[in-house]
Amino acid sequence: MPRRTQPGNRKNRHRPQRYKDVLHGNGGHRANDFRCVGCRLDVSLVAPGTAHRNHCPNCLVSLHVDDRVPGDRASECHGRMEALSLTVRPDGEWMIIHHCLSCGELSANRIAGDDNALVLMRLALRPLQDGSVASSALLTAL
Amino acid sequence: MSSDNLAHQNTANNVNNVLSTDTFSCVWCGLTVSAQAPDGSRRNHCPSCLHSKHVIDHVEGGPSECGSRMSPIAIAVLRTGDWMIVHRCVRCDELTSNPVSTDDNQLILMRMAVRPLAQPPFPLEAFGTL
Repeated sequence: MPRRTQPGNRKNRHRPQRYKDVLHGNGGHRANDFRCVGCRLDVSLVAPGTAHRNHCPNCLVSLHVDDRVPGDRASECHGRMEALSLTVRPDGEWMIIHHCLSCGELSANRIAGDDNALVLMRLALRPLQDGSVASSALLTAL
Repeated sequence: MSSDNLAHQNTANNVNNVLSTDTFSCVWCGLTVSAQAPDGSRRNHCPSCLHSKHVIDHVEGGPSECGSRMSPIAIAVLRTGDWMIVHRCVRCDELTSNPVSTDDNQLILMRMAVRPLAQPPFPLEAFGTL
């Protein structure tokens, strides 16, 4: 809590504000950072393991800004995209499939090195969570 | 072209036609399957290999010009607990999700569901202490 009155220091009361060379606004040192629409976490765009971060590392929520080509920023939807499921590339890399809550579009994104491992595990185990489908599938397959 | 495309198009007036004998041949394994699933709905993927065909454009709507093969890549679970198959077009990378039908190949379904656990990107031992 800042002090509103400064007793005994009345002559410095109207001191002009010091010039700041760090710009926090557009084009500043946080120009590319974004705030997650799901959990309001301030996310830096520098991510380990990937050059283009497109989802929050904490809650894996993304934003529908790209159309068909990743990075084109051509979509007019701007809806929230939530992680729907996980898939694995042939080289063993995990991909998150995002589902737009506004228009229903699906997109696949690579996971980053600092993504929340617990949320990823819950996503991977979600098909096996409901015992009825999984056990019936196993009983008929074996 | 004719029967193949017709079989994949989800025409509403054919959904409840019990006497329909529509068939299509799978673009991947060549199996001739009836276009009607056991629950009476229209089938959009082969029950044996789960491959589909890209005939509906989901970004812009309407029929797609691609017409290429779509391979199954993931299992998604709805809030109701129903499973959906996520298909990916091998030619234009479009993703679609379709509900599973009861006679789908359970072995391939389970293999896709546990596929992420076979090659985890982080050690799973840490979760034992949670």
